[in-house]
Amino acid sequence: MNHFLIGFSISSLLRRGSKSFFTIFIFTILIFLLSSILFISNSIKEELFITLKSLPQITVQKLQAGRHKNIEISKVDELLKLNGVQSAIPRVWGYYYFERAGVNFSVVGIDSFDKQYKKSFQQIVKDTDFDELSKNNTMVVGVGVKRVLEENYYKDFFNFVKPNGELKKIKIASTFKGSTSLESNDIILMPKDLVLEIFGMSKDEVTDIVLEVANPKEIQTISKKIKNLFPDTRVINNSDLRVSYQNIFDYKSGMFLALFIVSAFTFFMIVYDKASGLSSEEKREIGILKALGWKIDDILKSKFFEAFIVSFISFLSGIILSLFFVYTLQAPILRDIFIGYSRLKPDFDLPFILDFQTLSLLFFLTIPLYIAAIIIPSWRVASMNADEVMR
Amino acid sequence: MFLTPEIIALYTLDIIFLVFAFFAFVISVQIVRYWDMDSTDERQYKLEKKAILAATIIKYIFVLKIPLLIFFAFTCDKISGVITGAMCAAGVVNSVSFGLELFVFKIINLYVFGFWLALHVKDMADEKLSFTKLKFSIFIVAFILLVIEILYEISFFSSLDIDKIVSCCGTLFSVASSSSFSFIFKIPNPVVVSAFYITFSMLIIANFVKKDSIFLIANILFFIVSILSLILFFGTYIYELPTHHCPFCFLQRDYYYVGYIIYITLFMGTFSGISGSILAMIVPNQKKSFYKTSMIFNIIYVLIVSTYPVVYYIKNGVWL
Amino acid sequence: MIECKNITKIFNQNRPDEQSALKDISLSFAKGEFIVLKGASGSGKSTLLALIAALSKPTLGEVIVDGKRISKMPDNFTALFRRENIGFIFQKYNLIPTLSTYDNIIVPMIPSNPDEKELDKQVDKLLEMFFITDKKNAIIKNLSGGEQQRVAIARALINNPSIIIADEPTANLDAKLSLDFIDIIKKLKSENRTIIIATHDPLFFDLPFVDRVIELKNGEIVCF
Repeated sequence: MNHFLIGFSISSLLRRGSKSFFTIFIFTILIFLLSSILFISNSIKEELFITLKSLPQITVQKLQAGRHKNIEISKVDELLKLNGVQSAIPRVWGYYYFERAGVNFSVVGIDSFDKQYKKSFQQIVKDTDFDELSKNNTMVVGVGVKRVLEENYYKDFFNFVKPNGELKKIKIASTFKGSTSLESNDIILMPKDLVLEIFGMSKDEVTDIVLEVANPKEIQTISKKIKNLFPDTRVINNSDLRVSYQNIFDYKSGMFLALFIVSAFTFFMIVYDKASGLSSEEKREIGILKALGWKIDDILKSKFFEAFIVSFISFLSGIILSLFFVYTLQAPILRDIFIGYSRLKPDFDLPFILDFQTLSLLFFLTIPLYIAAIIIPSWRVASMNADEVMR
Repeated sequence: MFLTPEIIALYTLDIIFLVFAFFAFVISVQIVRYWDMDSTDERQYKLEKKAILAATIIKYIFVLKIPLLIFFAFTCDKISGVITGAMCAAGVVNSVSFGLELFVFKIINLYVFGFWLALHVKDMADEKLSFTKLKFSIFIVAFILLVIEILYEISFFSSLDIDKIVSCCGTLFSVASSSSFSFIFKIPNPVVVSAFYITFSMLIIANFVKKDSIFLIANILFFIVSILSLILFFGTYIYELPTHHCPFCFLQRDYYYVGYIIYITLFMGTFSGISGSILAMIVPNQKKSFYKTSMIFNIIYVLIVSTYPVVYYIKNGVWL
Repeated sequence: MIECKNITKIFNQNRPDEQSALKDISLSFAKGEFIVLKGASGSGKSTLLALIAALSKPTLGEVIVDGKRISKMPDNFTALFRRENIGFIFQKYNLIPTLSTYDNIIVPMIPSNPDEKELDKQVDKLLEMFFITDKKNAIIKNLSGGEQQRVAIARALINNPSIIIADEPTANLDAKLSLDFIDIIKKLKSENRTIIIATHDPLFFDLPFVDRVIELKNGEIVCF
C-alpha cells in the first residue's frame, strides 16, 4: 500500500475542498435515503414474518360472489375427517370500525374450552377467566386499542354499536401485549358469544376455520383436497401469505429503487459534468506531475483513490445517519410509505436488523455507479498532453 | 417476473458493464486495425492513450465481477425463499433451463478476464508494448463472452417464475433427476476419486518437469475433475450425508462458510496455473513463479477436501 | 549523452491551424555540459525541452538519451525515465501552495513508494544544501519568493537526476534571486550534471561556465 499516494490523494481532495464536500454531501444523502428505505423494509418484513409464524397453517373461508361470507360451523367436522388434518378450529372474529377515531379494531372471539390457535392467546386464556368475562360483559384489549380508546375518552369501557342500532356496553377487564407490536395493537379479545352479538351473527356460523396439519409438507395437498371438497371455499395457507408479503415488499422497495436509480443517474451526471470541466489549476497540476515523472497510471491511481475515499466517507456517513434515523428516531414519514394509513396506525418499534446482505446490496447499488461515472473524466485528465505546462 | 432490489442492482451493473465494455470493444477494434508501435502518427499516440482507458475499464469490470459472483449466489439464495421447492441457490439456478449455462459462463469469464489482466501486466512491462494487439484481439472475444453472459443473466431473472415448482438440490443432484448434468451421477465413486488424485499427481509431475503445455492441460483437467469430485464425493462428506451433493449449500453458515475457502483456493490454484502457462507460452524466458503459486493453492485445496472423508472415517470407522 | 536527430514537431497536423514548432533540428549534448537555449517566445525552445524530457513525441525524427530511444517509448516508460533521470525547474515554480516544503519536495518520488527513512535523509540533505532546514514543515504559501525558489530546485534534485532542465527560470525573479539561482546552477554543474536552460535572460549568455549557447528562431537553429 503506497501510503504516500493515499496521502497525496487525500490532500488533493482537500485542495478542491468545496467540490469534494459537495459531492460527498449529495452522495451521503442518496445513500441515506436508499439505506433508510432498505432498513425500514427489512425491519417491517421481519416483524411481519414473526407475525406470520404464529398464523395458522391453513385457513378455510367461504366465498360468495367473490366476497367473504361466514362459513357453516358444521364444516368443522367434515374437515376433521380429512387425512392429515390434526385440528380444525372455528374462529369468530371481525373488524369493528370505530368511526370517531377513524380506525378499525380486530375483534376476536375466544371460547375458553377451544384450543387456541395462537400461543399468545393461549397465555391470555390461561390468565383470564373468559366465562367470567361473558357473564360480566367484559373484554381484554391490546395496548394500541387502549390508547385509542383513552384518546377518545373511553376509560374502562366501550359502547359497541350493533347492526340493529342498539348499543352494547362492554367493560375492559385488562390490557395485553402480544409477542410483536403488530399483533397487540388493534386486537380486542372477548367471549365468543359477545362477538356473535356485536356482529349480529347466528350461532351456527363462524367467520372461518383454521386447520393444523401433521406434516407441513402436506399443506399444499390438503389445501387442494379442501378446494375439491368444498368448491365454494377459499383456502389460504401459510406459505402463500409469506410469499405474497415478500413480493409486496420487494415490489415496493423495487419501485423506490427505480426512482432512486433515476436520481442517482442525475447525480452522477452532475458529477461527471463537474469532473470533466476541470479547472486550469487542476490541469496544470496534472501536467506538473507528469513532468515530474508520474505515469498516466499513477495519476489514474490517485484519482481512483480520491473516488474511493469520497465513496467510503459517503457510504459510512449515509449508513450511520440512516441507522440513527430508522432505529433511534423510528423513521418518521418514511415508514408510512410501507405501512399505509388504512389500519390503526401501529405505533410499533422497528426491530433492529443489520445484515451483511443488505450492506452489500447498498454497496453494489451505489459505489460502482460512482466509480463508473469518474472513469472517463479521470482518464481524460490523466492522459492530457503535458507539454503545455512548459509554457 | 419479479424485481427484488438485488435483481435491480444486478441489472444496473450489467447495463453499466455492457456500456463500458462496449467502449473498450470499440477501442479494441481500432487497435487491432491501426496499432503500429513504430508510427509517429498522431493516431498512434491517441491509440496508446485509448489503450490505457480500455485497460482501466477492463480492470474495473474484473474487480467487480468477483464479489458480484458471490452476490449473485446470495441473491439466488434469497429468492429461493419465494420460489416453491427451492431451498437454496441451486434450486433457483436450475429452475431456468439455461441457469447452469449462465453460471458456467460466469466462471469462464472470470478466468478470461483474469487472464487478460495477467497478459496486460506483461504487456505494460515491455518497452515495445508487443502484446497490445494480441491483448485486444483477445478482448474482442472476451467482450462477446461477456455480452452472452449478461444477456443470459437478464433473461434468467426475467424468466424466474414463482408459480413453477422446482426441484431442490436434493433431487437435482441425484441419479434420478433428469437435469442436463445428471449423467455425471452414473460415474461410480471410486472412479471419480481415483481420477481426482491421478490428475493431482499429473500436476505434481508437470510441476517437476516444468513443461508449460503439460502444466496447462493438467490444471484444466484438475479443475474439471475437482468440481466433479466435489459434487459427487467430497461434498457428501462435508454434509455427512451420502445423498447431499449440492455445491452451494456448504457456502452457508451451517458449514462454517468452508465453501468460500474451497472455491477460492481452487480458483487461485487453477487460474495461476492456466494463465501462467499460457502466458509463459506466449512470452518465453519469463520467471516461472506461477508454478509455485498454483501448486500451493492446489495442494491446499486437495488437503481441505481430503480432510473431510478422512476425518469422517476416523470418527466413524466406515465410509459413507 | 543526449542526441536529437532530425527533429520536426508539427502541431495540429493536417488542420487549418497547423504549426511547425521545430523544423529538422539535429543536436547533441555531452554529459555534464551546460547548454543555454536562446530565443524569443515561439521560437521552439519550450517544445525542444519537452521533447528532450520525453513529455511529447516528435512528428519526425528521434530523441536518444544514453542510448535509449525515448521518443519511441510508451508513456509508462517515459515517465519512469523522467523520474530517474530528469530534474525539472519551472518558470513559476509550480509548487503546491497548501502543502509543506517536505510534501512538495517528495512529489516526484511518490509513485515509487520509497522507503520513508531513506527519503527523509535525502530531503534533509537537500534542505541543508539550500539553507532551508528550518522550513521543512512550513507551508509553501508562507515562504518568501527566494525560499520557494530553493524548494522548487530541491524538488528537482530529490531523485538525483543526471539531467536538469529549466524553462525560463529567472523570468519572474528579481536581480538578487537571479544571481542566487546562477550560483546554484554553478554548483550543480560542478557535480557533472547535464544542464539545459531555455531563457532569454541575458544574464546567462556570458557566463564563463556555459559550454554552449544555441539560438533558435522559428523552429530552426540560427547559430551555435
